[in-house]
Amino acid sequence: MPTHYYLVLSFVLFLIGTGGVLMRRNALIVLMGIELQLNGGNLAMLAFSRALGDEKGHVFAFLIIALAAAEAAVGLAILVGLFRGRQTVNLDEATLMKR
Amino acid sequence: MNVDAPMNASGAEQVVFWLLAAMTVFFAVFTVTRKNPVTAVMSLVGTFFSLAGIYATLSAHFLAILQVLVYAGAIMVLFIFVVMILNREEVSPVPLRFVSGFAVLAAIYLLVKFVHVADAGVPPMAPSVPETFGTVGNIGDLLFRDFLFPFEAISLLLLVAIVGGVVVSRTHQKEVDATVAAAARKEAHDRQLADYPAHDALEGGEGDEGHDAHAHGGGH
Repeated sequence: MPTHYYLVLSFVLFLIGTGGVLMRRNALIVLMGIELQLNGGNLAMLAFSRALGDEKGHVFAFLIIALAAAEAAVGLAILVGLFRGRQTVNLDEATLMKR
Repeated sequence: MNVDAPMNASGAEQVVFWLLAAMTVFFAVFTVTRKNPVTAVMSLVGTFFSLAGIYATLSAHFLAILQVLVYAGAIMVLFIFVVMILNREEVSPVPLRFVSGFAVLAAIYLLVKFVHVADAGVPPMAPSVPETFGTVGNIGDLLFRDFLFPFEAISLLLLVAIVGGVVVSRTHQKEVDATVAAAARKEAHDRQLADYPAHDALEGGEGDEGHDAHAHGGGH
């Protein structure tokens, strides 16, 4: 398949993730949107890697996957902390620093 | 866009790509539009599995396996656990407010950037790659020769994430309990020492060396 098919797919994936991050109020879905964005970036990395016949992109994709794991762990821990303190995962209600 | 790239994709390859791409987009849209977080997580698993298939069509075999193991396995289990802990449905999933305006602006900006990148010239797909392209051996070779420092840095990041996750999600009450328990333990230990005053005197009589060793050990 030509490279730009994969790039369009990664772009669409990133857009869907961005929509989830910006428009949803549930912090869990926002984290899932971030995962979608990271996966979109990964797909572009692998597509270019295959197009150029260079495996360095695979290494970067590997590092991004490790980064996503760390991000998910810390993000979900913060979410559990937020839920313990305020009994909500709605981002509109997490306004402690506004007052 | 550079459409006249060398196209030697066979029919089967095209069918697989379109099938997987449609599944990926469908599950991704499903993920961000569902009210119920459990449904969202399950469709996210679907997205990751179809993406693993797409990676495989890009001869990124190692990354495809990693996608299934790490994303569809570990990260999704983490998500499921948290969803089970805080199972709350949203009242209004997609409010139309000024943030949605930001989303539209971001989408337009991204589209412009994407067209910009595509116009700059997308490299055509290499007609063929070596048999060992994207295998564990090749990636490991690169990772431990050229990318050793990023590898170590990412392991440090994971360590920090583990410690951070534990510290952030621990409750205040448990911390208080642990402090109280530690104080009680210390008190009991002190009382035990006070109950047997002869213990120190006995060891002290053996000479300076023994006494010093005891003093060092007793510090804990």
